[in-house]
Amino acid sequence: MPAFAGLTDAQLMQIVAHIRSLGNTAMGDVATGDPVKGQAIYDANGCASCHIVNGVGGDLGPDLTGIGSLRPADFMRLELQNPGANLPKSPVTGIAIGKWTEYLMFRAVTKDGRAVEGMRAAESTLEIVLEDAKGNYHSLHKADLKSLEKEPGKSFMPSQSSLSDADLNNLAAYLASLKAAAQ
Amino acid sequence: MKAMKHALALAIVMAAGSAAGFAQSAPYERILNADKTPQDWLTYGGDYQSHRFSGLKEVNKTNVASLRPVWIYQRSQITGEFIEATPLVVDGLMYIVEPPSTVTALDARTGMKIWSWSPKMPKDVKYIGLHANNRGVAILDGTVYIGTLDCHLAALDAKTGALRWIVEVEKNSDNHAISANPLAINGEVIIGTGGGDRDARGLLDAYDAKTGKRLWRIYTVPNKDEPGADTWGGAVGNGGDVWNGGSYDPDLNLVYYGTGNPSPAFGGGTRPGDNLYTCSLLAVDATTGKLKWHFQFTPHDIHDWDSTQIPVLFDATVGGKRRKLVGLANRNGFYYVLDRATGEFVAGAPYISQTWAKGLDEKGRPIKLPSYDPAPTGTLTNPSTSGANNWTAPSYDPENNLFYVSARELAAVFTPTGANFQSGDSAYGAIRALDATTGKMKWQYRMIAPAWVSTLSTAGGLVFSGDDEGDVFALDADTGKLLWSFPMSGVDPRDSPITYSVDGKQYVVISSINIYAAFALR
Repeated sequence: MPAFAGLTDAQLMQIVAHIRSLGNTAMGDVATGDPVKGQAIYDANGCASCHIVNGVGGDLGPDLTGIGSLRPADFMRLELQNPGANLPKSPVTGIAIGKWTEYLMFRAVTKDGRAVEGMRAAESTLEIVLEDAKGNYHSLHKADLKSLEKEPGKSFMPSQSSLSDADLNNLAAYLASLKAAAQ
Repeated sequence: MKAMKHALALAIVMAAGSAAGFAQSAPYERILNADKTPQDWLTYGGDYQSHRFSGLKEVNKTNVASLRPVWIYQRSQITGEFIEATPLVVDGLMYIVEPPSTVTALDARTGMKIWSWSPKMPKDVKYIGLHANNRGVAILDGTVYIGTLDCHLAALDAKTGALRWIVEVEKNSDNHAISANPLAINGEVIIGTGGGDRDARGLLDAYDAKTGKRLWRIYTVPNKDEPGADTWGGAVGNGGDVWNGGSYDPDLNLVYYGTGNPSPAFGGGTRPGDNLYTCSLLAVDATTGKLKWHFQFTPHDIHDWDSTQIPVLFDATVGGKRRKLVGLANRNGFYYVLDRATGEFVAGAPYISQTWAKGLDEKGRPIKLPSYDPAPTGTLTNPSTSGANNWTAPSYDPENNLFYVSARELAAVFTPTGANFQSGDSAYGAIRALDATTGKMKWQYRMIAPAWVSTLSTAGGLVFSGDDEGDVFALDADTGKLLWSFPMSGVDPRDSPITYSVDGKQYVVISSINIYAAFALR
């Protein structure tokens, strides 16, 4: 078997999640979570204002429909606590380009002093489009900017670290229960 | 007398070189002196030296910001492969290649199609290690030449597209295919093949331009009893494909071609030794096909670093002496200058932040670092398998002795069986202007991703190229400052911009994915 040394941590976690899903094995401590209670936390905390599940919800963050088929519950628990730490990579768009970090935050300041903070929706050498916290797109010409800084580790999603250990497990268990529909 | 008048009128039309003439003769002497007819683009690299430099200067630093699109040609059939061909322009007619192997002639003033020719291609055509695309045609004496994906060389009438002859270069069923542009010189047409990533033996052929009869062949890797066989550790050499274009020095009567990687590409345990003549530049006698000299850039390559980048011929003063030189920005990350008469190493320097060699020794051989050999657990190495430069062509400006190359700062994690590319966010690309004699960087224009676009320089003080997000642009040739850009769109385009003029008006033509677009001043 060839080595897979070039994979990122996120990619490795996705593969681990997939292999685990093949055998329906237990997922460790977070498996003690109750998905029904987790759904109640999801609703109460306003997660749906930014995430879609089965076509319902806001569109600022990733669509969580089927997320349980992509990520294990223990990975999602880590994400809930530190949302910007392990952002997903885009699909490869060309042999040269490699994978781009999605939802990456930038802070741009125009030459006339206007500041825009947002997630990268698109970027070229000359242009960038940022999506701000309200979901508004800002199309910016890089030559018109005074500064453009990446903000790695940052996310519009608030950390859920204030939840109790049990509630974190419940919420993670709910997300893990969101399986992709069979094709 | 009447016939003489007609002949005189025709000669006048041909001399004018305008669209009204549509002569398309392109005799050898005219290509030899390509710099005297900057209204044309007569070879893949613009001339036999592969300078990709045009003497046109209607479009220049002061007005390039006013460059606007004037026509767009859309491919009639979409095959999934991108346009990579460099167009040729002769007397107002443009010759392009639509992938995989369709030659189309356009009115260079309007983009209107005049004729098109496609070969009969087997449905199960093989092109291992290559894409199903093509780098362009050659022209000589009223005939257009194309190498086809199924490994034939075809000669077409330049005015009508009628087939004059077609020959099989090698068997496509044995994994040989052609993506390279032919090189048409004095009475002969030269072409190499690809397929070496699946054990095809690299070769370079010359054919009689009139009849298609093969004049000579040189293999790029030796058989058991041939010179260089001892550099394969007892293995039979494979690979060393000549899958990109070459250059020609008419005074030395030498053609210059780079060769591809040894096969298998990774690991290398089955082929101990330097693996001649892979990853090398070959200087071949254009009349006999005999190897005059070789220079190997990457001995025993295990990173897929083909050395098929375009060799650029130029003359410069080194140590107080005027010398005939060849410059090449290699896929391995080093820029090399060699004496093109002897193959002697003159100078070399990295043009990207390579991580595998301490440098080059006095003969130009790389001093490998321990990180050269990929560990089973993976070794991060710059450049990646796609290289510091790949097939896209550089340009050389004889007025300032600068070499413009699209450099790729993209690393990969290598193992003995393959490689994974570094994340897009930590890679980037740059147009870099190198002192052609030393390789020292004068300026760079940085892009967010490594690009697949050739460079074009002009007497207007401009360098044209493009980025990986689909922008095409013009830079100040002296400073690298951005002077003009146009969003052609289409991620990952593969372009080779050229320039020409019709009726005194200068055009710049750039392709992107499935179109050719012409730009001019309004």
